[in-house]
Formats: sequence, structure tokens, C-alpha cells
Amino acid sequence: MKSAGIEQYYIEISCSNSGQINSIVSGSFIRSEFENESSIFNPCPFLEGTLEGLALNEALLMEGMAIQSDRTEYFTDVELYKSEMETRVLIHNRSNVYQYVKELNQGKNDLFFLKQELDKKNAELERLRQMADKANEEKSRFLAMMSHEVRNPLNVILGYTELLSKEKVSRKLEGYIKNLTVSGRNLKVIVDDILDLSRVEAGKLELSNDPISLSSVLLQIEENYKSSHKDTAVELYFKASESLPKIVLGDDVRIYQIITNLLNNSIKFTPQGSVSTSIDLISSDEKEATVSFKVSDTGRGMTADQAATVFEEYKQNELNDNRIHKGAGLGLAIVKRLVSAMDGEIYVSSKLGIGTTFTIQISFKTVIESSSIETTKEPILPENHIRAARILVADDNYLNRSIVEHILKREEANFLLVKDGVEALDALKAERFDIVLLDINMPNLSGEDLIKQKEAYAKENASTPFIALTGNSSKQDIKGYLEVGFVDVIPKPFSSAQLVGILNTNLSQ
Amino acid sequence: MIAKKVLLVGNFGVGKTSLIRRFVLNEFSEDYISTIGVRVSSKILKVDSTEIKLLIWDVAGTSDDEKVPKAYFMGSSAAMYVFDLSRQETYTNLEERLALVKELSSLKEITLVGNKKDLLTGDELEAVLGSLSTHIDLVTSAKEDDNVEDAFLALAKQSLK
Repeated sequence: MKSAGIEQYYIEISCSNSGQINSIVSGSFIRSEFENESSIFNPCPFLEGTLEGLALNEALLMEGMAIQSDRTEYFTDVELYKSEMETRVLIHNRSNVYQYVKELNQGKNDLFFLKQELDKKNAELERLRQMADKANEEKSRFLAMMSHEVRNPLNVILGYTELLSKEKVSRKLEGYIKNLTVSGRNLKVIVDDILDLSRVEAGKLELSNDPISLSSVLLQIEENYKSSHKDTAVELYFKASESLPKIVLGDDVRIYQIITNLLNNSIKFTPQGSVSTSIDLISSDEKEATVSFKVSDTGRGMTADQAATVFEEYKQNELNDNRIHKGAGLGLAIVKRLVSAMDGEIYVSSKLGIGTTFTIQISFKTVIESSSIETTKEPILPENHIRAARILVADDNYLNRSIVEHILKREEANFLLVKDGVEALDALKAERFDIVLLDINMPNLSGEDLIKQKEAYAKENASTPFIALTGNSSKQDIKGYLEVGFVDVIPKPFSSAQLVGILNTNLSQ
Repeated sequence: MIAKKVLLVGNFGVGKTSLIRRFVLNEFSEDYISTIGVRVSSKILKVDSTEIKLLIWDVAGTSDDEKVPKAYFMGSSAAMYVFDLSRQETYTNLEERLALVKELSSLKEITLVGNKKDLLTGDELEAVLGSLSTHIDLVTSAKEDDNVEDAFLALAKQSLK
């Protein structure tokens, strides 16, 4: 017994082997499409050609065959059986099943193409990222190289300015020299900033992790500003919380740099009022102390838009179109990067006309107080050993050489100046020196190559200390110079006090 | 007039339906609609003064590990293997793929067509063609109606052999 409903899902047709419909055997699926004596190829175009190829007395199933009826497309499974007399065609309506298959397939294929598109975009992004990285690296390298090239003439400018400032001159000239000194120092800050930024961007910034006292760092800053800050319209306040741990592990030079950069920035943008710097303890346990550094001013403040971009490099140029403020706009960008390198965070809050507050939070590892360090570094002035020493100075730059000459003359030193490594080698072979100052980049024979030829002058100067005079002052450079045999490094630009101090220290040993 | 059953096979998304639509209806759409099962279209064309009714089977595209059902090839006179010139995975191991189609269809020759020429620059096209070890019958673009007619003419000629 057959259910009446089933018939609408199939139709069985008898046709001739050439496709002419003989009769409807059973079923009523799209019945109106099949007229006796008409061709079955009209409703079922897939049978044309197929019927001819059918083997006799073998069933064939074809799945997913599309049939149109009354502007509706049906998907069917078709079974065929060919005998000598006729071909039986059994058509099953499977539209529901194929509809699901269609949706799944469409989804699957769409996903494939989306993924392919995504892969293409990702590859393009990766290519662009590599290009940007390369451009950035080249920029950093260029900046580092330029900064280094600037150091030599800067050394001359600062050196002569310092020498001039020691001379008795008119008040007018004194004023000019003061302006020269300030501008020269500002230029040095900019060059140092550029180098610092290049190092951070190139991932070459190395942070030390030594026992330090944060309150001592602040005290040192306060002492420095006491002597250098002459603007009476801006009061400076410093406060380190008493609850701060005495010793933490960190990089005091970079902490100093961070606070000084923020402080300089605040002073710059505060025509009158005050700038307060404080360090407070936020939380601490046995292992770690989280500390907040705050620099607040009562200066001109910023709009929200300006505050949002204040840590971007060279931003000051845009904020400050009339260039009344010194610097290249790198100070805050460097602060941001240094803080990030210390796994810290920096925030800025500002109101136009009211002032600005920079807040930094950094977590430091704490150390047991018994391993306390000597944190107050009293400068010990070395005894003057220069006067009694024979000194060799090699530098290809005449002006740099003359700066050293002036300083050594003032110190009443006994010295010989030569203009390259070859002349220095000849001098080292000819007589004994108590100390040698060698420029690194010299024609004919570089300072580095000269020191490696020790066997050539070992007889006279086997134990003579060599000091490098160089614009290459990264940690890596200095490490390299010490490894090849230099006992110390004097980075350019240097002050006379720095040069004299290092010479004395090494001559006393 | 003689009728010839021909099939278009190849990976999904290579443009088999687009080639047929361009050839039969002279239409093209950028939308991608996945084909299910088999849809048959027909067009009458003349090959060397012989009129042929070409019954073109648009077979659902396959993935790498899928085979076209053997039953589809029953009574077929020719087949076109279509690949996408811009998608490498559709033309790797072409020789093996063609051998498989020949085995399923019992056809001696398969017309080989690289579609979507419009997506490649001249140099890219040259590089792709240079990388293939199999002879390509035609390079087409359904979108720009480039070589489509010729591709089906080649298929029709093949069906007469």
C-alpha cells in the first residue's frame, strides 16, 4: 500500500531509447512536464547524449541533476535503466537536501575565498611592515651617523666657548659667550636625544639593573637645578616620600634622564609659577615596589588633542610654530620609550591655561637593606697628576686637537700633539709616554688599529694607558674600545673638567 | 543536427559557470554562486559547416580530494578542464588531474583552459604559463570575453573527433 503523499516526490517514466516518452509509470512529481509522445530531453536536458551512452541492463544513478518546472529549479537524483525495448527513468525530488548542501557549500567556498583574501592582505601588510621597519632602521642609522658627525664640531664649539669663558672679556662679550654656551649645550642635548631615540628604536638601549636610591636621584637633580635654574619667575619644588624603599634595582642614569626631561619640558612651558617634582610609593611587598613619579606645573597647559600626541617625536615643532622653545621635540618621546622599556606607564593630564601633570608608574624589584650601597656620591677631586706627566695626543681634527692643547696648556702639561695614527706610532716608538689620548677615526691608521700594534712600541710604552677620544659613545662602542685595550673612553663633546678628571684618575693609578 | 554532450570540470571557483554564461548568454557577473550538482545549458554552433547542438554540463566544482562522479561522463563526447590562472592550487599537478578525468570519462583528450587571465599582468601570466609542464589549449577571461568562444569551439571540435 502506498501513501498518497509519497507520489509527489518522485516520478517514474517509460521512454524509448531515443527519449520519446511512452508513459508515466507512477508518481506525480512535476507531472505536467511529461507528456506522452513528447521528448524527455525537454524537461531533462541532461538525458540527451546520456541515454545513448547507457549500457543495456545496467542501472545508473546520477545525483544532483537540475530540472526547471514552472520557473522553479528542482534538484533531483535520477536513476536510469536501459533495456532492449525501453529506458526507465526514475526521478526523485531531493531539492530540500540539495538546498542544505548548496548553503553549506556556498558558506564553505565563501570562507575559502575570504581566507585567501585575508592571506593576501596579511602578506601585503607584512611586506609593508618590513618596508616600514627597514625605513625606520635606516632613519635611525642615519640619525646616529649624523649625530656622531655633529659631535666633532660641537666639541670644538663647546670647547672654545669654555676657553673663552675663562678669559677676561668685556661684559658685552661675556653675554655673547653665555649665549653661545647655552646654545651649544642645547645642541648637545638635541644630539644626545636623537642618539637615544635611535638606540631605543633600534632595540639597542640597554638598561642597567643596579641597586639605586630613588630619593638620592631626586636629591641630585634638585642640587643640579639649584645651580643651573636661574629663572626666578618659576619656583621648583622637589619631594621624595619617606615611605620609598631605600634601595631598589634600576637604572639611575635613565631615571635621572626621565625626570630631567619632564622637568625641562615643564619649565619650558611655564612662563611663571611653579614646577613640582615628587616621588611616592604606591604599593610594595617583599619583592617589588611600585613607585609614582610626578612632575606638575602651573604652565600654559594643553588642549586634549595636544595632550594626546605629546609623546610623539618631533611633536613640539607642530605645537610650537614660532620656535621660541628650545629642543627638537624629542624629550617626551624618549621619556615614553624609556618608561616602556622599564615596563612602566606614563600619563598626562592637562588643562589649557592651568597647567600639566605627567605621572609615571614603574615597578622596581626591591633589595634587602643590608646590601645597601653608597648612594650619595661625593665628588672626589683627584690630585693633579697631569703636570708631571708626558702625554701624547693624536687627533686628525685640527680644531679638536687645539681644544685639547688649550686644556693641557692650562694644566701645565708636558704633551706632544700628532695628527694621525702613523705619527702617533712613530712617537710611541721614539719615546715613553705616561698616557696616550687617541682619536678613533683617523686617516692612515685608526686609534683602534694603533692600539693593536702594541708589539711595535712595547719596549718604550708596554704599560702606558691609552684613552679613546671619540664621538662613538654607545655602551657597545665603549665595551669594544675597552676590549681592544683602551683603559678609558672620553666621549665627544667633552668639557675640560671631564678631560682633566679622566686624565688625573688614570695617571694616579 | 547532431547533439554532443560536453562537460566542464575543475576546482570550485575557477569560473566554469562564468565561461558557460558568457558563451551561452553573453553575460557576466562578479558574484560568486557555488554550483550544486549539474546544470545543463545548450548552444548551437557551426564547426566546419557542421551544425552542432552543444549540451554543456556545468558540473559542481571540486576540491583537491574530490572526484567528479563517473556517471556524469556517461555519453559525453568531450570535456574541458578549467583552472584559475590566479590560484596556484587549481593548477598544481595538472597532469595527474587530467589523467584522472580521462580515466573517469574514457575520453582520450581533454581541453585544458586557464581562466581569469584578467587578474594577471602580462609578466605574471608568462610566469604561470612557463611554470606549467602541460600544454594549455587556451587562456581565457570570462569577465572580459577573451577567448571564450574559441575555447568552446575547440571543445566542440574535440567532441567531433
